[in-house]
Amino acid sequence: MSILIDENTRLIIQGITGREGTFHGQRMLEYGTKVVAGVTPGKGGQEVLGVPVFDTVKQAFNKTGANATIIFVSAKFTAEGAYEALDAGIPLVITIAEHVPVKDMMGVYHIAKKTESRVIGPNSFGVISPGKSKAGFMHDRIFSKGSVAIMSRSATNCYETVFLLTNEGIGQSTVIGIGGDMISGSSFIDYLPLFEKDKQTKLIVMIGEIGGSDEEIAAEYIKSNIKKPVIALVAGKNAPKGTSMGHAGAIVSADGAGSAQNKELMLRKAGVNIAESAEDIVKLIKDIL
Amino acid sequence: MKLLEYKGKELLKNYDIAVQNGLVVSSVDEIAQNIKAIKPPYVIKVQIMAGGRGKAGGIKFAGNVAEAEKICADLFNKEIRGCIVKKILIAEKSEIADEWYLSIILDRFYKTPMIIFSSLGGIDIEETAKSDPEKIIKLPVNTLIGIKDYHTRYIFEKCALDLKFYDKFNLILLNLYRLFCEYDCILAEINPLSIAEGEKLMAIDCKMDIDDSSLYHHTDIFEFRDSLDENPLIIEARKFNFLYIPLGNDGDIAVISNGSGMLMSCIDLISKSGMKTGCALDLGGGATSDRIAEAVKIIFKNKNINYLLVSIFGGITRCDEVAKGVKLAIKSGLKDKTVILRLEGTNKSEALEVIKGIDGSVTTASSITEGVKILSSRRKDK
Repeated sequence: MSILIDENTRLIIQGITGREGTFHGQRMLEYGTKVVAGVTPGKGGQEVLGVPVFDTVKQAFNKTGANATIIFVSAKFTAEGAYEALDAGIPLVITIAEHVPVKDMMGVYHIAKKTESRVIGPNSFGVISPGKSKAGFMHDRIFSKGSVAIMSRSATNCYETVFLLTNEGIGQSTVIGIGGDMISGSSFIDYLPLFEKDKQTKLIVMIGEIGGSDEEIAAEYIKSNIKKPVIALVAGKNAPKGTSMGHAGAIVSADGAGSAQNKELMLRKAGVNIAESAEDIVKLIKDIL
Repeated sequence: MKLLEYKGKELLKNYDIAVQNGLVVSSVDEIAQNIKAIKPPYVIKVQIMAGGRGKAGGIKFAGNVAEAEKICADLFNKEIRGCIVKKILIAEKSEIADEWYLSIILDRFYKTPMIIFSSLGGIDIEETAKSDPEKIIKLPVNTLIGIKDYHTRYIFEKCALDLKFYDKFNLILLNLYRLFCEYDCILAEINPLSIAEGEKLMAIDCKMDIDDSSLYHHTDIFEFRDSLDENPLIIEARKFNFLYIPLGNDGDIAVISNGSGMLMSCIDLISKSGMKTGCALDLGGGATSDRIAEAVKIIFKNKNINYLLVSIFGGITRCDEVAKGVKLAIKSGLKDKTVILRLEGTNKSEALEVIKGIDGSVTTASSITEGVKILSSRRKDK
């Protein structure tokens, strides 16, 4: 099992002829990911890494029966790439670019909600189901196959956790980079039901951070819907309090939402185990498994 | 990118939202020659990024030009809420009858713009939000619909506002939304939106925050950013595409990492051990040794910093490049500083070889927790 991607995933790389697209395309192929098509406007008919290149996502989808796409284009063009993929009906759209304009993502988020497709990212390292498939630029050597599911808003905290787990012989089912931006295509709440159903996953790790209310929303859901043990880390307890949101930020979070303390409190109430550090996550997992 | 009040008011004015006549000055000499169009009495407001300046003595009143000059002379270069005063706004003081609050914020829950309104505006709005949340109206905006008359009707009915302000307010709301969208704002706040000089609606103060990822659309904001007198270390770090984050003057520890999540985790663990971080620097991905050396040098230009924890999970960032960079920086005259390196990932063993050859107080740690423990014991030794 595992979720989102596995050995049957047929992946498109949008921007495959670009420097990053080719570099990481090579690594995904080496890992065993079935990269079935690339898309670069104007380069249809060429071949890169032994993979056929198409002018549009729709052509790539029709010709190869792809069921996922990863967008390796710059931040400015990420939304356009996502719209094209959504319009072509690709069920899984992974966006990785850093610095995608928030307004662009607001559009992508709401359009995606009106389709059957799922958008991951942006500002994400992608998704990996160790031993089966990876769609992203994560350093696959630190991952290992097993039963711990991880979803993280931070790449560095996630790598740290995965590295420690693999060193302890604890493998992962699927690891997802939710992305670190104000608006992500999907968040904890969207993946929780999938992990709950997934037979390979025995335990769920959430790595969150201050800001937004994704952790609080997840806590509410976990309380009544998740039977599997959940461990959460909330980073940023001692980060400087931003004055950037003016009074409006304080009004929106007048009930305490958004702070690390509130997130931890809500998660605890939902029966989630709170970890203080990546090492602590490993300790808690060892106690539970 | 946060804007100072005067810059925000420039935008409001461009979007036909009334503000007081005013003048921005960077020195006392500029006042006399430019103030003729501004009628006394004056309100004098320091232009700083920190909030709460009124309570900290950053807002004063003057009856005439001479008084204004004297007050400004006192305020320039003064530290208020941790910021040095470099710019001052001198505006006409208005007779204010009532203060409202109006903002449009990008709401992270609905993932849409949201209108926030209260007829109880002013500096105590945050208190009102806690004590009387029902006095504050929050209206998420469906971006396919935008702002329509019914939003204004709802606000007026809910707050029992005087209908003679309906048209004026409606126009302000529409214009503020247009500004919010066209300038890629994540916040456009007017507080107070005052009933002034009879029946005028005026923006007396404002806060604007523009999405950093969209700045490339707005050359005027770029120019504004460059005109800001920021912490010189922030500016220097930006030249190398680093993010330098000052965290307060009472910390003697700095943290460098290749991602904001890891930085936050390090700061959390340092705080948990009862120590204080003075600044942090985010390298981003893929830094080379000479850039790493610059990062370390920037950190130690902050004179409060004596200890540095570098925590890298190297993927794109190679550990040996990090070690070489630290070596370069130490060589340049930082032998008295303590550096703790926690390196993991690509080329780690090569990195350890490099570290052995560093002449200075450089130690390695196998984990962040161990790094923090070493920090703690080193500080006790001194």
